[in-house]
Amino acid sequence: MLIKAINVCKTYKNGLEALKNIDLEIDSGEFVFLTGASGAGKSTLIRLLFREELATTGQVLISGRNIARLSQRETVRLRRNTGVVFQDFRLMERNTVFDNVAFALKAVERSWEEIKVRVPQVLEKVGLGGRENENVMHLSGGEQQRVAVARAIINHPLILFADEPTGDLDPNTSEELMKLFEQINKDGTTLLIATHDKEIVNRMRRRVLTLHGGKLVGDIVGGWQL
Amino acid sequence: MRLYSFRYIIPQAFKSLKLNGWMTFASILTISITLFLCAICWLLVINIDSNAQQMESDVRVSAYIDQTISSEDYPALQEQIEAIDGVDNVEFVSKDQGISDLEKRFGGIDLKETLGGNNPLPDRFSISATNKDVVSSVAKAVKKLDGVDTVRYGEGSVEKLFALTDTFRKVGITLIILLGIAAVTLVAMTIRLTVFARRKEIMVMKWVGATNAFIRWPFLLEGVILGVIGAFIAVVLVLICYKYAGVYVANTISFVYLLELSTIWLKVLGFAVLAGLIMGAFGSIISLLKCLDV
Repeated sequence: MLIKAINVCKTYKNGLEALKNIDLEIDSGEFVFLTGASGAGKSTLIRLLFREELATTGQVLISGRNIARLSQRETVRLRRNTGVVFQDFRLMERNTVFDNVAFALKAVERSWEEIKVRVPQVLEKVGLGGRENENVMHLSGGEQQRVAVARAIINHPLILFADEPTGDLDPNTSEELMKLFEQINKDGTTLLIATHDKEIVNRMRRRVLTLHGGKLVGDIVGGWQL
Repeated sequence: MRLYSFRYIIPQAFKSLKLNGWMTFASILTISITLFLCAICWLLVINIDSNAQQMESDVRVSAYIDQTISSEDYPALQEQIEAIDGVDNVEFVSKDQGISDLEKRFGGIDLKETLGGNNPLPDRFSISATNKDVVSSVAKAVKKLDGVDTVRYGEGSVEKLFALTDTFRKVGITLIILLGIAAVTLVAMTIRLTVFARRKEIMVMKWVGATNAFIRWPFLLEGVILGVIGAFIAVVLVLICYKYAGVYVANTISFVYLLELSTIWLKVLGFAVLAGLIMGAFGSIISLLKCLDV
């Protein structure tokens, strides 16, 4: 099992119980939606899975390893095997498309020769071939999200987490982004996408995990449950 | 850490310095002032020390001859002095030579003319001792001789100079510590601002799996650059001041001498750059430990 959560709870310092007794398993190569209303705990669960935060109780296992017990070096390795995409893209506004994507390679200390080859390749894959030198702020929302996806997948992660990736996009652009995610999934990357976009979930007919009030209330293949 | 990562790290550090222009300026200025004062204190201390040591080794006993005795008796008196235990060498200094020596020491002032053509100085013997520990006993023995009016050997002045050096050292160290704390705090604040301004990049670096060292290096380098630039500015200012102070001192107080610039500039540079580097790195580390929990 690639991702496993065992009785995971997350309580913040202010007493808010964001997640309660979550048990879930995601196999390698799956495409999974994580749904629920705002405040249901989707973003918290995503943050726990890529070890941005740690569970208060319970265990999160990635490839059989409890990620709370990872050393610094192992954490770095885990992050190199996971990609993350956010609703607000989190791009470096003053930089070009190339710089934003190349940054992910520079940060993991790849050589300049490798960066020059791989960045155009991944931009081609996300449909932004030839746009390397444009400033990211001159791109549309959908294009900016593609840059964020390119940055997330350029290191060939085993898992891609996306937290409300279509939240700021119009329906057509969201549709195109989902096609891109399907393509990435076909290439072997496991996807977990947190969304409250009912239409997309219903259309895609994939496995859907449903959170409600911090509890996992549904796990089916199909459409929106709530 | 791979070597080619510095292709990212080095420009990043300079970019950050540019980004926080005013804080960068304030940090460099504080480091410069701190190191400037440190270096000035240090130069004062080593110069006073060296003057004191020079004076100590140069202490000569001046035996002023009773003006009532005839100059014909001088050779006999000189022989008596030379016979005293601990006397190394006795030199006769006439009153004319005495006043011209004095004129030289005070920068070429015409003392005779100032004193209305009179020379109030008595003739004297300038006596050197075999070593500095017997100066006092030689002076006492000379004083007892007939024909000797007064004896002077700068008693207490060397001790006063050493006490002055000590005071300078204490005041200097206190000042350096206080200014050092201010400089390190300012560097830490500058770095913290950079960390804040680049928090998004730092988050992205974390998510894609950058190592702690890779994330922290640009900030550490930024602090070191602040320190080294501050140090170079301080060194230039110190050396310019020292050069002009040397000329001024040589022209006005001839009995004080400053160490040659050529013998100290490398030490000043080394000291300032090392101190600047340590302050900069220390400021960065404080900031990184506090606000860059990777």
